[in-house]
Amino acid sequence: MDKIGVFVCHCGSNIASTVDVRKVVEEIKKYPGVEHCENYVYMCSEPGQQLIKDKIKEKGLDAVIVAACSPTLHETTFRKACQSVGLNPYKFESANIREHCSWVHSDMKRATAKAVKIVETLVEKIKQNEELTPISIPVTRRALVVGGGIAGIQTSIDIANSGYEVILVEKDSSIGGHMIQLSETFPTLDCSQCILTPKMVEAGHHPNIKLYSYSEVEDVSGYIGNFKVKIKKKPRSVDFDKCTGCGDCMTNCPIHYEAQIPPVPKYSDGIDPDKVKELDKIMKKYTVGKEEVPDKEMLILIMQDINLQYNYLPDYALKYLSEKLDIPLTSIYHAATFYTAFSLTPRGDHLVKVCMGTACHARGASRILEEFERQLQIKHGETTPDKKFTLETVNCLGCCALAPVAVIDDDYFMMTPNKVGTLLKKYSKE
Amino acid sequence: MAKLKSVKEFEKLHKQLTGKKNPKKPSIAVCAGTGCVALGATGVVDAFKKEIKRMKLSEKVELLITGCHGFCERGVVVLLRPEGILYQRVKPADVPEILEKTILNNEIIERLLYEDTVTGKKIVHEKDIPFYKHQDRLIFGSNNQINPTSIDDYISIGGYSALARVLSDMKPEAVVDVINKSGLRGRGGGGFPTGKKWEYCRRAEGDIKYVIINADEGDPGAYMDRSILEGNPHSVLEGLIIGAYAVESTEGYIYVRQEYPLALEHFTTALDAARKYGFLGKNILGSGMNFDVKIARGGGAFVCGESTALMASIEGRVGEPRAKHFHTVERGLHESPTVLNNVETWANVPVIINKGWEWFSEIGTDRSKGTKIFSLVGKVNNTGLVEVPMGTTLRQIIFDIGGGIQNNKKFKAVQTGGPSGGVVPESLLDLPVDFERLTEAGSMMGSGGMIVMDENNCMVDVAKYFVDFLKDESCGKCTPCREGLIQMSEILKDITEGNGKEGDLELLEELSWVMTETSLCALGASAAFPFLSTLRYFRDEYEVHIKEKRCPAHVCKALITYTINAKKCTGCTLCALKCPQDAISGEKKALHEIDQSKCIKCGICVDACKFDAVIVD
Repeated sequence: MDKIGVFVCHCGSNIASTVDVRKVVEEIKKYPGVEHCENYVYMCSEPGQQLIKDKIKEKGLDAVIVAACSPTLHETTFRKACQSVGLNPYKFESANIREHCSWVHSDMKRATAKAVKIVETLVEKIKQNEELTPISIPVTRRALVVGGGIAGIQTSIDIANSGYEVILVEKDSSIGGHMIQLSETFPTLDCSQCILTPKMVEAGHHPNIKLYSYSEVEDVSGYIGNFKVKIKKKPRSVDFDKCTGCGDCMTNCPIHYEAQIPPVPKYSDGIDPDKVKELDKIMKKYTVGKEEVPDKEMLILIMQDINLQYNYLPDYALKYLSEKLDIPLTSIYHAATFYTAFSLTPRGDHLVKVCMGTACHARGASRILEEFERQLQIKHGETTPDKKFTLETVNCLGCCALAPVAVIDDDYFMMTPNKVGTLLKKYSKE
Repeated sequence: MAKLKSVKEFEKLHKQLTGKKNPKKPSIAVCAGTGCVALGATGVVDAFKKEIKRMKLSEKVELLITGCHGFCERGVVVLLRPEGILYQRVKPADVPEILEKTILNNEIIERLLYEDTVTGKKIVHEKDIPFYKHQDRLIFGSNNQINPTSIDDYISIGGYSALARVLSDMKPEAVVDVINKSGLRGRGGGGFPTGKKWEYCRRAEGDIKYVIINADEGDPGAYMDRSILEGNPHSVLEGLIIGAYAVESTEGYIYVRQEYPLALEHFTTALDAARKYGFLGKNILGSGMNFDVKIARGGGAFVCGESTALMASIEGRVGEPRAKHFHTVERGLHESPTVLNNVETWANVPVIINKGWEWFSEIGTDRSKGTKIFSLVGKVNNTGLVEVPMGTTLRQIIFDIGGGIQNNKKFKAVQTGGPSGGVVPESLLDLPVDFERLTEAGSMMGSGGMIVMDENNCMVDVAKYFVDFLKDESCGKCTPCREGLIQMSEILKDITEGNGKEGDLELLEELSWVMTETSLCALGASAAFPFLSTLRYFRDEYEVHIKEKRCPAHVCKALITYTINAKKCTGCTLCALKCPQDAISGEKKALHEIDQSKCIKCGICVDACKFDAVIVD
């Protein structure tokens, strides 16, 4: 059986301030298979590494674990240190007790227990580790890029410009992907063609790029450096050597050519017809004269009516509005989240609004709010799980002389913290 | 009611309605403003209706359900005419007695009278009560004379006669001229001269021009616009129609906050009634003027009180302000010239037309004319709406009208101007209140909120309150306001939680300067004012928070502890029973103790203790 050595790092105060490293050492010493365990301030320092080397020699250790930071930082450091005194570098393991433990916890007792667990897991792992020896195999210096969108095109060009051969596979008849379908691009509003077409031409003509359009990857086997890939070229009945891409065959084809963009489903198709009727009724109020749909200007008023009727703005209603008023859904959500009157989640049976106006604040409104929050066991802006009460704050109810004030449904109340319980009792019965 | 086709027909109606009134007939005006409704006005009104019917008095006495009388602290307020007797804190159970004793037998009911907070004397008549005695209610005075849903009531007290006068003998230019000369300035915040605004809009080119009432009363702590709209909607509408005539507008809007349902209801009723009489619509009073008003409801966004944001909101968009390359008087709603005035400003217009600019410009100070309605609230004895001439001192308002500070505590500061304003400390109590003086003191007039603070209000907490308020209300369009407020809020939070550092105040000052200089609209540009003014007058309080980690006003939770005074505690167990955290323990009749690790500093024990044994320090 392996003689395992465990070295626990303080990382200054990074680990030691949250994890009791001495306690970890004490616990790990007891763990079966552990020959040696100790701690040190900075394991990655020269003296720290020397310490490990010395112990390997002194105790004849044949496996080493360093409990410190993430392996991405110092795994190589320690592997090299082990190798320098004749230990196979794959008989070394990093136990991450910094990023996974000390940095993300504050309770020392529990963090220490977790650190012990992490190290123990690594001890079990290292028992299974075998000595590994690197070998060399030849590598085919050729790249495959799947997909001829902007990312695929750019990748292919970059690799090709570095002097390697690239196979670019695209399932459609032309490269360009989704970007070529856009009119403008974020954030500069350049037209997408202006960016994309030079790159498409470059990819098409690059001596290092072999383009397989209208093709799909069927099978990938092999391993890094030596992949075998099967590419299926879909039938096109065109002689590529002669074709100039004039497009005449497309215009003259007796089977009508149709756009490949699938129709966008209409929101109204998916909504319950009764609900549509209700929404139409609200919108009807705001149509003038012979108008079929209300003016865009009526948006906020319509949303207020919907909010009033349903106590919130249902998702389908916003989508329906967007379609009917021809306003982008993003603009509607912008408004829905901008005005505090709107809620995107259903409110409870009773709406409690606590006034946070200046006069109310000066007379202790925050205590009223805290008492409501405490008794309802929710924060403001939330609804109780039984959907009885929704608690909200309001900037000013315009009832400043009676401060502090709260409104439940439509009734105004002059408040004291003591009154909160009585009011809630009264309303929860209703 | 038939449409009035000419000014003559209107005058006939006016005479007829005034003639009907018998000034000697007893009338009972019950305040049904939002404040009084919260205190049970609906029950009082119902009781009056029932009792009048039962006692068969409907011929002898008139019941008037009015808007806000202003004295909200003492609601439900009932005013008995012709004597002018004021009963306060009236309950439905008092109603039969009022009818029997006072109306039928001229007896005064002592217990319903107002008792002077200083002398302890009972006062019978409204005009003698200090709260009313020192006021000058030009705009607000009609509220207790009319039923806000009755256009006839408004006409009978002279309503719409200003409009009739304007339509029959004044050219639009002359109207603008009168407003200009009167010196009326916007009551919504900035104090821009109203006449100038109208003049610019008149001159601006555009086929359509708009006039808008800004009833998005967003400043927390101010509610005069609400009370005018609820109590006397026609006065605002009349002002708007006159304004429309002056700038030759055919379409008007009112933008009302969604938190004001009753104001919306009353204004809608007013619009319908005005259409029926022909004050709105085509060919108004036969003058050839066409004008109508649409209603837009706000969505609960503070920034929508800003002119460009408000107009964006009316256009059905998100209420974000835009840079003012063009002023809204040139390109406002739908890119057309627009006049936007606050509710109170519009309500001043008919008064000026009726009484003349000479008369109006006599009231007030050098550059601020007329009266201003303030919402006097916070830690003051008589809270409510007060209307005083510009130039009245803060001391007069807070101590003479407001009756001083509640519970004999010490006055600390008064906050004016809402989130764009600041605080005025005790040393400046004799400051005459007008646009210029308040700005000089580092605050501003704003829409007229006046929140009185006593020794138990922490100034750091007040600054943090406004910064947090604005942080939530910032639309997020420009960086200085969006990011600056977040940073200010974080630093102030640290200070109130005992994590303040040396240099925090200097950093906040620098941040304030950047925000003031570079924000897109007034919300951001004035967002630092509450902080700067509290710092200007109460820098020591900030320093105590930072250096000694103490909150002298005992507000900042992280800096205070609750303990029980061994000498005063009687062991009554009441505090232990009420404590939501079970943090208080102790045997009956023995000293109680607060477990600091459980205490959430809610203050319920302080309220519960009858022996003042809980110490906050």
